[in-house]
Formats: sequence, C-alpha cells, structure tokens
Amino acid sequence: MYQTFIQFASTEAPAEKADLFGSLGIDWTLLVIQTVAFLVLMWFLGKYVYPALSRSLDKREADIEAANKAAVETEKNALKTQAEIKKLLTEARKEAGEIVATAKEEATSMVANAEEKSKTQSERIVAQAQESIAKEVLAAKRDLHNETIELVALATEKVVGKAVDAKIDAKLIKSAIEESK
Amino acid sequence: MTQFAATEADAAPHISIAAEPIFHIGSLAITNSMIMGVMGYALLLWIFVYTARVVKTGAKRNKVVQMVTWVYEMLYSTVLQIVGDRELARKIAPLPISLFFFIIVQYWIGILPFVGPISWNGVPLFRGLAADLNTTFALAIVTMVAAQLYAIKVHGIFGSAGRYLRNPIKDPAGAFEGILELIAEFSRLVGLSFRLFGNVFAGEVLLVIIAFLTKYAAVAALPPFYIFELFIGSIQAYIFFMLTTVFISLGLISHDAHSDEAHSPADTQRIAASETTN
Repeated sequence: MYQTFIQFASTEAPAEKADLFGSLGIDWTLLVIQTVAFLVLMWFLGKYVYPALSRSLDKREADIEAANKAAVETEKNALKTQAEIKKLLTEARKEAGEIVATAKEEATSMVANAEEKSKTQSERIVAQAQESIAKEVLAAKRDLHNETIELVALATEKVVGKAVDAKIDAKLIKSAIEESK
Repeated sequence: MTQFAATEADAAPHISIAAEPIFHIGSLAITNSMIMGVMGYALLLWIFVYTARVVKTGAKRNKVVQMVTWVYEMLYSTVLQIVGDRELARKIAPLPISLFFFIIVQYWIGILPFVGPISWNGVPLFRGLAADLNTTFALAIVTMVAAQLYAIKVHGIFGSAGRYLRNPIKDPAGAFEGILELIAEFSRLVGLSFRLFGNVFAGEVLLVIIAFLTKYAAVAALPPFYIFELFIGSIQAYIFFMLTTVFISLGLISHDAHSDEAHSPADTQRIAASETTN
C-alpha cells in the first residue's frame, strides 16, 4: 500500500511543477465542451421537461388549495348546521315543554271534570235511590195500614160478633183510629 | 482510474487525478470520464423525458416518476423558500435543479462496479464525469456566471457592479469590502468546483483502495462503502444545489444600503442560509 501512495505521489509531482492546470487535468477545450454540454442539457430540460413538472406542481398546489378551501367551507357549513341543530333542538325542547304543560293542564281539567261528573252522577243516583226508598216505605206503610185495617175489622167482627158490612166497618175503624189519635 | 481487477493481484491500483484520454477525434481527446459522462447524460435524459411524458399524459406514475417529481417538488420549494419570490424562483430554479440531478446521476453511475476494472491500453475505460475537474469547473463557472447575470438582470450593470466597485474616497470601508466581495466570488468558484471534485475523487479512491486491500473479500467489504458513497453523492449534489441557489439569491439582494432595514425577510433568510452552508 505504501508503494501505492509513493507511486501516486511520484507520478503526479512533476506534472504539478510543470503546469498546475494540466496536472489537475484541466483542459480548456474539454472545459468548454463540458460547459456547453451542461448548458444544452439545461436548455433541453428547461424547454421540454420542467414546464410539464411545474404545471403538474401548480395543478397539485391548486388542487390542495381548492381542497383546503372546500374543507374550510365544509367546516363552516358544519358549524352552521350544528348551530341550526342546536337552535332547532332548543325550539323542540321548548315546544315539548309547552306541549307537556298543556297536556298536564288538560289532564288536570279532565280529571276535575270527570270528578265533577261522577260526583253529580253519584248524587243523582243517591237521590234516586232515596226517592225510590221513600216510595217503597210509603207503599209499605200503606200496605201495613190496609192490612192493619183489615185485621182490626176482623178482630172487631169477632169481638162484636156480628157481621158488619164493609161501609160500616170502615166507618167504625176510621172513628176508632181518630179516637186513638 | 483503476485497473485492480485487470492486472495481477499484487499490482498497485492505478490512480490519476486527471481524466485520461482513451482515443482522439482529430485533435480532441476523448477521455474516460467523457465516455461515462455520455452514459450519464443519456440516463438523465431518459429519466426526465420519461417522467415528463408520464406527467403530461397523466398515466399511472411508477416509483421512478414519483421519486423524480417528489425530488423536483422538494428542490423547487427550497428555491422558492430561499428566493422568496414565486416569479424569480420559477426563473432561477431550472439551473440549481438541473445541477442537482446532473451531479447525483453522474456521481452515482461513477461508483458502479464496472467503473475502474475495465481498462483499454492500460487506462481505465470508465471514470465518473464528476471525478473530472473539467466538469466540476464547468458547473462552477455556469453557476457563478448565472449568479452575475441574474444580479445584472435585477439591478442593472451598474447596480450589480456597485457590489464590488465603490468610491474609496466616499466609502473606504465599502471599497475594501467590494474588493473582498470580488475575491469571494472567485473563491466561491474554486470552492464549488474543488469541493465536488475532491469528494467524488476521494470516494473513488476509497473504493479502489478498499478493493485492493481486501482482494477477494471485496465482495463483502465494498457494499457498505458503496452505500456510503451513494449517501455522499446525494449530499454533494444537494450542497451544490443549495450553494448555487444561495449565490444567485445573494446577487438579488438589494444592497443600496448595507443595513438590516434594506433586507426583506427573504433576504435575511438567504443571508442566514448562505452563512450556514458556507
């Protein structure tokens, strides 16, 4: 390896002394050729390749920008919709509250009406029952009265021992009752 | 450059700083780097023409097209970020982007296994184009000339010359600064070309030496170095691209008054980028 570097140094050293550019391999003709070749490459790329790439880049940027815009718009719309939903929910809650309150009120009034109706009906039934009882009592009294009269007549007939016709009988009983009063 | 496989096992590798002529066309010497360079140009053109066709027709993009368009987009956005103006970036971008792709392709094909072992009359038949100082100098010259042309386009001839030539009576410090700026332009030219050449050449020498030292074990020993070289190639291409963009954009800065107020936010960014990369 040592020999390698010795050889490298020994071959290049005299050339460096002779001509710095030459020893480095700089040749003005080759330099011009390389410059021209690179400029031609750059011209070709600048003319036929980069415009297409730049256009693609611009399009992509525009697409991204449009997508960003759309995203912002969508977000805005979403916020707007959210606000609307919130508003609608509030209104719905309010309406629901009102409906519930009204329903409660109506239910209360219905219950009150039903109570009143049932009370009236029950009172009517009670009154009817009382009336019917009174009638029955009166009828029973009358029956009892008649039966009593008949019994008294029979008893009187037996006591008096003679038959009395109905008219006399009734007269007697009546007078007896009046006297007993 | 190397012929370690073609010669005897114990022979020392052939290392030459300069590209070597393989044959002549008239008085023009066709060097081994030029032969490799033609392949690189062809590959580059094929990749780009194919990519442009796919992009134009809207056909399905394969991995190559996706990679090229992705890198193009990344490089373009870097130029835009440094220059700060969409119109200017569109005009400037082709040069640094072309440089990036050119350097990376030439660097990468220069480390292919057949570069070196195959020789013609004792001279390696192939040598990476980027390992030829003529090429790196040519690229640096194109960059620096383009930087000057853009500066002249924006500020005019006198405005641009004002960066270097100032009245020493009115502004002695500025005049001295102008001279330093002029020297800096030349040092940038030399720095650009030698940095790239040095890296490519050192990479190729590294591969040759590793192959030479490891002999038949080179099959196992070389792959990590190939990967390393691929990485270095992409880094060098990016550095050249970045420096080109920064040098051009530095010429576009308004330098009427060398005050902080004269700098736009994009100018400040450019100066910062220049300081970082230098």
